[in-house]
Amino acid sequence: MMRLYRLLLRVYPATFTRRYGAELEVAFSGARREPRHSGAIGMLRFWAHILIDLVTTAARLRVARARAAYANVPRLPSQPKRTEMDTALQDVRHALRSFARRPGFTAVALLSLALGIGANSLIYGLVDGFVLRPFPYPDPDRLVAIGVTFPKLSSEVGYVEVLSPAEYGDIRSAKSLARTAAFDLGNRNISGGDVPERVFTALLLDDLFPVIGMQPVLGRGFTREELAPNGPAVGIISHRLWQTRFGADPNIINRAIRIGGQSATIVGVMPPGLLVIGTDLWLPWGADTALIPRSRRQFSILARLAPGVTLAQANAELAAIAGRVEQNEKAAIPDYEGWRLTATPWAAALLRDLRPAAFLLLGAVALVLLIACANLANLMLARSTSRGRELAVRLALGAARWRLVRHLLTETVLLALAGGALGVLIAYLGLRGAGALIPSQFQLLDLQAGVNGRVLVWSFALALAAGVLVGVLPAMQAARTDPHESLKSDGRGGAGRAGSRSRAVLVVAEIALSVVLLLGAGLLMRSFLNVQSVDAGFEPRGVLTMRLTLPRERYPGEAANAFFDRLVERIGAVGGVRAVAAASQYPPMAAFDIQVTTERQTAQPQGMIPTALITVATPSIFEALRVPMRSGRTFGAADRLDAPPVVIVNQTFVQRYLQGTEPLGQRVMLGEPKPGGAWATIVGVVADFRNSGSMRPIRPEVYMPMRQQTQWNQLFLLVRGDGSPAGMLPAVREAVRSLDPEQPVYGIQSLEEAIAQSSFQQRIAALLLSIFATVALVMAGVGVFGVMSYSVSARTQEIGVRLAVGAQRRDVVWQVVGHVLRLAGVGLAIGVALLFAGRQAIAGLLFGVEAADGMTIALVTAVLGLVSLFAAWVPAARASRIDPIQALRYE
Amino acid sequence: MPPPPRKTLSLSVLNILLALADGAKHGYAIKQDVEERSEGTIRLGPGTLYEAIQRLEDDGLIAEASPDEPAANGQEAQRRFYRLTERGWTVLRRELKQLSDVVDRARANPRLRKGLA
Repeated sequence: MMRLYRLLLRVYPATFTRRYGAELEVAFSGARREPRHSGAIGMLRFWAHILIDLVTTAARLRVARARAAYANVPRLPSQPKRTEMDTALQDVRHALRSFARRPGFTAVALLSLALGIGANSLIYGLVDGFVLRPFPYPDPDRLVAIGVTFPKLSSEVGYVEVLSPAEYGDIRSAKSLARTAAFDLGNRNISGGDVPERVFTALLLDDLFPVIGMQPVLGRGFTREELAPNGPAVGIISHRLWQTRFGADPNIINRAIRIGGQSATIVGVMPPGLLVIGTDLWLPWGADTALIPRSRRQFSILARLAPGVTLAQANAELAAIAGRVEQNEKAAIPDYEGWRLTATPWAAALLRDLRPAAFLLLGAVALVLLIACANLANLMLARSTSRGRELAVRLALGAARWRLVRHLLTETVLLALAGGALGVLIAYLGLRGAGALIPSQFQLLDLQAGVNGRVLVWSFALALAAGVLVGVLPAMQAARTDPHESLKSDGRGGAGRAGSRSRAVLVVAEIALSVVLLLGAGLLMRSFLNVQSVDAGFEPRGVLTMRLTLPRERYPGEAANAFFDRLVERIGAVGGVRAVAAASQYPPMAAFDIQVTTERQTAQPQGMIPTALITVATPSIFEALRVPMRSGRTFGAADRLDAPPVVIVNQTFVQRYLQGTEPLGQRVMLGEPKPGGAWATIVGVVADFRNSGSMRPIRPEVYMPMRQQTQWNQLFLLVRGDGSPAGMLPAVREAVRSLDPEQPVYGIQSLEEAIAQSSFQQRIAALLLSIFATVALVMAGVGVFGVMSYSVSARTQEIGVRLAVGAQRRDVVWQVVGHVLRLAGVGLAIGVALLFAGRQAIAGLLFGVEAADGMTIALVTAVLGLVSLFAAWVPAARASRIDPIQALRYE
Repeated sequence: MPPPPRKTLSLSVLNILLALADGAKHGYAIKQDVEERSEGTIRLGPGTLYEAIQRLEDDGLIAEASPDEPAANGQEAQRRFYRLTERGWTVLRRELKQLSDVVDRARANPRLRKGLA
C-alpha cells in the first residue's frame, strides 16, 4: 500500500516531495492505522480521504508554483518567450479549468475511464499472478518442464509424473539443458507433535534447487552423498511448512522429525513462496533407479536451458534424443513408437489449463476499455463541436493549430491518467477480494495476485493509450476547423457534419465491440449450461469425499486393505449413512489409465494401444455413486488376493474392446502384456458415467477390487448419506481416529464441490464475460442515445421545415429509428464477423456449441435491437414533438 | 524578510499554530492534536498538512526544531519537529486577538449570544 502511495506522491511538484516525502509517508501510515479506517468500509473511507487530499493539494501546489513562475516573467508588450514546460503547464491549467467548468462531464469521463482501466488492471493482475509469472523463481522463462507424448497411448502431452528414471537419464544428457532435476510426487505423513499431518512431498533424483536457482534461507541444500541411493535420511522443508508446523523455530536445522514413520533430519528451509507444484517437503528419492523398468513412469522433469540456447534448439535436441531411444527400444516397448519430448516454460506447462480463460478475459476486458474510449471520444466530439466557436476564435486570433491539438490531447490524457490512478485503486481493492474466487487446487500452489510493478506499468500504458485514443478524433477535428466557416455559420457547418460522421463511425465501432462481447458471453453461458446439463450418469448430491494416505511403514502389504475395510464398515454403521466406499479415484477427476489386453485382441484405429481408466475400489463404489450395474455382479467378499482376479468394466469398454460380445466371463490382462501374466475375468458391467468430468468423452474403464492388490495405500473415501455431506464429517473423523489416532484425513470436500471446481474456468469466464458484455451494452446504448440526441437537435430546423411542408410525424420518428437500426445492423454484422475471425481464442472453452451459433446470434440480435430502440426512443419522441413554428423562428 | 502577512489565517493553519504553541511537534503529532482539539471536525490529510507546513515554513512562522524530549527510537529521531518562531508567536497572538475581538463583538448581539456561551 505504501508503494502505491509513494507512486501517487509523484503528482506533487518534485520540490515538495523532496522536502516532505518521508514525512508524508509517516502521516499516511499513521492515518491508515486510525481505528475509523479499519475494515472494508474504513479502507474505502481512508482511500477517499487520501485521494481527495492528494488531488486538491497537488492542484493547489502546482497552480501556486506556476503562478510563482509567471510572477517573474516581465509583462511587456512583446510576447514573453515560453518554454516547453510553461506551455505544458498552461495546457494542464487550461484542462483543469475546463474540467471544473463541466463537472458532470468530467465525472462521467473519469468514472468510465477508471472502471475501464481498473477492470483491465485487475484482470492483468490476475493473469500476471496466476499465468504469466506465477512462481517467484529467478529467470523463470529459462526454466522448462519436459513434456512427453506417447501417440500410441494418448494424444495428450503430459508434464507431471510422466517419465521413468531411464528416460530421465536420456534427457539429462542433452547439451542444451544446463541443469536438470527429476522428482516423484507423493504424500508423506509427518507425525510427532500434537496432530499428525500429511504433507505433499517431492522425492528428488537430482537436486532441484540449483535448477530453480534458489538457496535455502536456513541451513543448506542436499549434498551429493545425500542424493545418492541409500543415502542418509534428510529432508528440506518449505517456508510455509516451517511456519505453520514448526512455529518458525530457528533451531529446526539438524533436528530429527518423523516422516512416514521413519526418522529424518531437516537440513534446510527454503525461502517463502518456493513450492514446487505445491510441495512442502523435499526428500532424496533414495532407492537405486537401475532396477526400475523403463515403462514405470512416475517422474516429472524440471530443467534450466543452457546459456544462449533457445527453446527451439532445446526442442530439436530433445527430438533427436527421442528418436534415438525410439530406434533402440521400440522393439521391446511399443509405446516408444512416435514418442515426442518437448521443453515448455515451466509456468506455461503447469498452468496451461488456465491459459485459455486468462487470455480470453484479458482480450474481453480490453474491448470494454475500447468501448469506454469510443464513448468518451463521442462525448468529446459533441463538446468540441459546441466548442467550435471557441476554437475558431482562437485560430482566428492566431493560435497555431498544433497548439489546439495539443491542448485537446492534454485534456484527455490528463483525464485518462486520473482515471488510471483510480483504476489502480479499483484493481488493488479487487485483487484483495479475488482470493475468494480461486478454487482450492490453485490455493495449493500458493499463487498470489496483487498490484505489482508490472501491473502499474500496464495500467499506466493503458491510461496513456486511452487518453490519446479518446483525444485523437476531437483533436483532428479541431485541426480541421476552418475559422472562416465556423464563425460565419453557427456551428452547423462543415465541422459539424464531419463530426456527426465520425460519431456515427464511433457508435458503429462500439456496437460491433459490444456484439463481440455479447456473443462471447452468450457462447460461454451456453457452454456452461451444456456442461451442467450433461447427464453425468451418477448422483453427486449427498456425497462427502476425503483422502487418506496410510504410511507404508506401518501398513505393509494387505494391512492397508484391512484398515480400509474396517473403516468402511465402521462408517457404514453410522446413522444416516447410506453407502461408503474407498476408491483410488472418483469423478470428475479420474485420470489414471492402464494398458489393457483382451484375449481376442482387436485392431484399434491407427494402431493405438488399448488403454482404459483403472480404478481400485471396494465393492460399494457403484452404490456410493449411484451408478447402476448393467449385468453381472459387483465385487464380493470372496474376491481376495488368493482368489482368481476379477474386474468390472463399463459399457464403452464392451463396445470398443469386445465388439459388443457377451462380456461376462471374458478375460483381460492389465498393464503391459507378458507371457504368463495374470488374466482377470470380467464379472460385471457397470453403466457408463462421466468419470473424467462432463467435458471429456467417456472412456473405456476397468474396476479392480481393492482386496486383490497391495499397491494402493492412498485411497479416497466416498460417503453417501441422507443429510448434508458436511454433517457427516465429525462421525467419519471419529471413525478414523478410533482406528488410528495418528492418521490424518485431508482433501475434504463434497462431491458437488469437486464438480463445481472442475468447471471453474467455464464458470468464471462466463460470469466475467457476462459482466463485461452488460457494461459494454449499456455503454453502447448510451453512445447511440448520445449520437441520436445530437443529430436530432442539430437537425431541428430541417425537421421543422419538413413538418411545415407536410411531412407526417410518423415519418420523422421512423427516420430517427431507421437511422439507429442501420447503425445497429452494421455494428452487428461487423461484430459477428469479428467474433468469427477470432473464434480460435474462445474455441477451447466452448462445449457443445460452435462459435457461429445461430441461436446465440439471434439472441444477441434481439437484445441489441431492444437496446437500440430503447436508446432511440427519447430522441425520436423529441423529434416528433418539434414545433415547426418554433424551429423555424431561429432561422 | 517580508512583513508578516496581514491576511487572516485559515482555520486549519490557525489550528496548526495552536498545536505548536504547546511545544515542538512532528507533523503527524500536529495532525493528531488538531483533529483531537476540533473533535474531528477538522481533518488534515497528509498533503493538506504538509502544504500548510510548507507555507508556514516559507513565511517564517514555524521552523524546524529539536524535539523537547529525546527520541524514543530511531524512527522518531528521523522525523522532523517544528516549533513556532518569534514571528509565528507574533502572528498567532495577533490573529487570536483579532478573533477574540470578533467574538466579543458578536457576544454583544443578544441574538448571537446563545450559541457562543
